[in-house]
Amino acid sequence: MALRISKNMGAPQLATKSGYGRMATLLVVAAGVVALALPIAMPDPYFVHSCIVVLLFAYMATSWNFVCGYVGQLSIGHAMFAGVGGYATVLIFSRLGISPWLGMLVGGVLAAMLSVVVGYPTFRLKGPYFALTTIAFAEMIRIWVENTDTFLGIPLNGAAGITVPLVGESWVAFQFNGKTPYYYVILVMLVLALLATWRLERSKLGFYLKAIRGDRDAAEALGISPARYQLVALAISAFMTGVGGGFYAQFFRYVNADRLIGVEFSIDLALMSIIGGQGTVFGPLLGAVLLTPIAEITRGHLGGVLPGLHIVIYGIILILAVLYLPKGLIDPLRSILSRLSKNGRSA
Amino acid sequence: MSGDGTPLLQVRGISKRFGGLQAVHDLSFDLRRGEILALLGPNGAGKTTAFNMIAGYFRTDQGRILFEGRDIAGRKPWDICRIGIARTFQLSKPFSDLTVAENLMVGGFVRRSEIDEIRAKALEIADFLGMGHQAATEVQHLTAFDRRKLELGRALSTEPKLLLMDEVVAGATPSEAQEMVELVRRIRDRGVTILIVEHVMKVIMALSERVIVMESGRLIANGKPKDVVRQPEVLKAYFGEGYAARA
Repeated sequence: MALRISKNMGAPQLATKSGYGRMATLLVVAAGVVALALPIAMPDPYFVHSCIVVLLFAYMATSWNFVCGYVGQLSIGHAMFAGVGGYATVLIFSRLGISPWLGMLVGGVLAAMLSVVVGYPTFRLKGPYFALTTIAFAEMIRIWVENTDTFLGIPLNGAAGITVPLVGESWVAFQFNGKTPYYYVILVMLVLALLATWRLERSKLGFYLKAIRGDRDAAEALGISPARYQLVALAISAFMTGVGGGFYAQFFRYVNADRLIGVEFSIDLALMSIIGGQGTVFGPLLGAVLLTPIAEITRGHLGGVLPGLHIVIYGIILILAVLYLPKGLIDPLRSILSRLSKNGRSA
Repeated sequence: MSGDGTPLLQVRGISKRFGGLQAVHDLSFDLRRGEILALLGPNGAGKTTAFNMIAGYFRTDQGRILFEGRDIAGRKPWDICRIGIARTFQLSKPFSDLTVAENLMVGGFVRRSEIDEIRAKALEIADFLGMGHQAATEVQHLTAFDRRKLELGRALSTEPKLLLMDEVVAGATPSEAQEMVELVRRIRDRGVTILIVEHVMKVIMALSERVIVMESGRLIANGKPKDVVRQPEVLKAYFGEGYAARA
């Protein structure tokens, strides 16, 4: 946190922080190198597939964190933005023949527009109204899509979902036979989302969101309209989530309301951010890296025996995290880093 | 040193009713550029309500509030801040998971857009408060009095023309109160006009050239501190009928 002010100040305790900063940079670079080399070093398709799922969740949780983590509001309906992005991408490709790359961006814009509809009435209110409204909206949309075969001539296919028409290996159609291209696409998306968050921390919007989270009345006295800036952040977050929904559609070549718009998906994103460390750049990534494999393993090894078991395990981890590490798992990692860096006095 | 005499803030007949309670009734007063005006009154007199109406936190039922000649009644708190009026809260409300410097940076975005400039300004304010060495400290580790000073500094970070202060020395030790009085004077010397709601008489005597007194939502006195405290209405409001008669 003090990295930001270390530039202009020579106070002794800040030397610790810049040592800490170097350690953190080193760790990020190392993680980046590993991430780049991974599909080359271990090309097993199942392994690469699993890594893509982890990165997708990391990207989605990072998008969730962009508004919720910094403003201290809980969204349990972010899947609706993913759903809009996913459905838009598939439909724009299958109906209009427009490249999914463009479709993802259009999906993101549509998701941002939906977020304004949700956020505009609720951000004026203090209290849990935003959380309640997000879950209500997301469930309304899911139930509507599940029960709608065509809407204004657009085939939504109800509960069955829509498959992406296959055209074979093509960059324009965002379809690849191997897994590796998808891996690098989602890696780039994740890096961009992390950079956006890093930039947010140093921007006016970031300061304003943290002020609103800290104390809404005090924020207002400092020239901040809470509703306005929360809405801006939500729209950016929804855009990012919508683009992620587009990737989801292209990667799985299939969208359906239950998986993509379902409340389980929304809860996953919230839990990963909270357990990893919301309101930090790398917390949601850490949460996704740790939690996604749990879901994959319980699904893969227990199959249909105990559906939803991973949610139970997430719940237990959440309880432990809230009790012992309320700032998320990233917090002890930070203190270890600052202890490792030379002047190990944690200030 | 009672300012250059031109009015910065003109309050004209503002009223506020909460259900059956007329919290502020037809209140009018002027605040001159460069002065420190104290707003006094017993508990429940309507001081904080009037304060919140000027700061935009409560809507006025009637009346006008002119700041540099423009009516600002009914404007939102963030607009009031942009116009050049800053406020502190009676219970300090720091952003507790941010550092002192970060707390002082938030308000800077109202006037500037270069983050390095805003940071430099925040550090200058930290020095002004005598908190330069704590710039990198997270606010949750500060003492109650340091938080109070930070509250004041945060208001200053918006570079206001008018500063509204709500009971800045409540709960402070005498030496802390003295430090706060000194700080407020230095703020005024930087060209900021100040309206201060305060209970502690010693602070008011030390600071303000002029005081206004409210009781039951109405203005009952307006003048120099040492004159006002001798007025029978003021004594009655603070100490009751019997005391006023004896005095």
